Amino acid sequence: MRSYWFGDIDRGECTPAASHDPEYLSRRLDGIGAAMESSFSPPDWESARDCGFVSSRGEYIRVLRDLCIHRAEKALAAIAGRPEQELVQMVHMRDQLDEAVNLVTEKALEWHAARSPEFSRKYRSLKGSRVRDVLLAEGSPRVKDIATGIVQLSEARAGLTREIEQLAGDVLPNCTALVGGVVAARILAAAGSLEDLARLPSGTVQVLGARTALFAHIRSGTPPPKHGIIYQDRRVHKAPRGRRGKVSRALAAKLAIAARIDFFRGERDDRFLDAARAAVERAGGGPGA
Amino acid sequence: MIWMDGALVSRGEAGVYGERVVRGHRVWDPYRSKLAAYYYLGGDVCLEPSMRVLYLGAAHGTTVSHVADYVEVVYAVENAYTPMRDLLAVALRRKNIIPLFADAAGPASYAPLVEEVDILFQDVAHPDQAGIARKNAPFIRRGGTALIVVKARSIDVTEKPADIVRDFSEEMESCGMPARRVIWLEPFHRDHAILECPRD
Repeated sequence: MRSYWFGDIDRGECTPAASHDPEYLSRRLDGIGAAMESSFSPPDWESARDCGFVSSRGEYIRVLRDLCIHRAEKALAAIAGRPEQELVQMVHMRDQLDEAVNLVTEKALEWHAARSPEFSRKYRSLKGSRVRDVLLAEGSPRVKDIATGIVQLSEARAGLTREIEQLAGDVLPNCTALVGGVVAARILAAAGSLEDLARLPSGTVQVLGARTALFAHIRSGTPPPKHGIIYQDRRVHKAPRGRRGKVSRALAAKLAIAARIDFFRGERDDRFLDAARAAVERAGGGPGA
Repeated sequence: MIWMDGALVSRGEAGVYGERVVRGHRVWDPYRSKLAAYYYLGGDVCLEPSMRVLYLGAAHGTTVSHVADYVEVVYAVENAYTPMRDLLAVALRRKNIIPLFADAAGPASYAPLVEEVDILFQDVAHPDQAGIARKNAPFIRRGGTALIVVKARSIDVTEKPADIVRDFSEEMESCGMPARRVIWLEPFHRDHAILECPRD
């Protein structure tokens, strides 16, 4: 028997699908075993007509198109409904805000310096919010205006960071507890989806985000990367050079487990988290090393 | 194919992606579309009003919209979320595009839906482009043609594009669809070639 979207054909006998309703046809299609054996032959509209499913070529295309659009819309909606999609965008937005704030601050400061001959960066530690204070206090009206905008963007960034932590805590409770929301969200983005992440071996989690270095290693034998995104975790980048690889390996191992708990159980496991933190600590040469 | 003052055009509802319109015709830019470049460079597997086309790697639906202007029906396969949204928007405005949110490497998922086609156009960024073409060959009618964009850089960046295309042709030959002709898409697209593989 051959099953097509419009019906089943069994030794020349055709049983048409019961309705033109896209929802019905779509569910019916899901039930058709997907296989393309060697005897496969594509559906043809004449069979659908002889079957009594449609009366014309135009109707065949119309019903088929409605069905496919319905299926595509449903599949897209299912993806859009995943919170990880939004989480990924939120992290991108946060990165972009960082960049924008730094860039505009830098340019505003240069402009301010150009019109105030006495201005110098020496002997004052001018960092981040301090620069904004200087611009707000000493700048020309336009510079003050821009500085106000920068302050607003920084506030938006702080708020966004809180929201990322919160959403990441919902989606990936254990990963977030282990490495913080932002890093957890980045790893999730690199893996694609929570399900994909849960299926990754820890060796892959360790080098997610170090694609160039990894392929350079595979292709031409440069030293393998020790860490990818997880480098952004304090325990990895603050570790002494000789221990960084060890720490990132331990952290990746625990992250891989955390991702599986997040995907399959979806709730925070404090006993696991305590053990995991201790293991990473040991790898870093902490107590119990 | 319709040419106006040396420019390839198609007839259909304009404004899909901000394309230029000349006297009611949509200009089909060879720098944006590999299929358009193929026709500019002398490709002669033309799109006819009665044709059915299976388009793998439909992306945002820009080239698909031009193909749909020419032929009876286009089965457009795309498997990435972001471009699929655009493709769906295009399909909603054109009655002869059948959008399929599926992976061209797994044609079984759309096998019950896609009829025999006259042209298989494949433009996918995948290391195993030949395997995808082979798996989708059953959809091409006898006497039909596969137009396969070989993206040398997506197969292996370290090899010479010419070597990759040669290997690719050999692979197609071994599955019974030898390339009749290879058209390099210079100067419109670098390191891309279109292979004409007829199915007999």
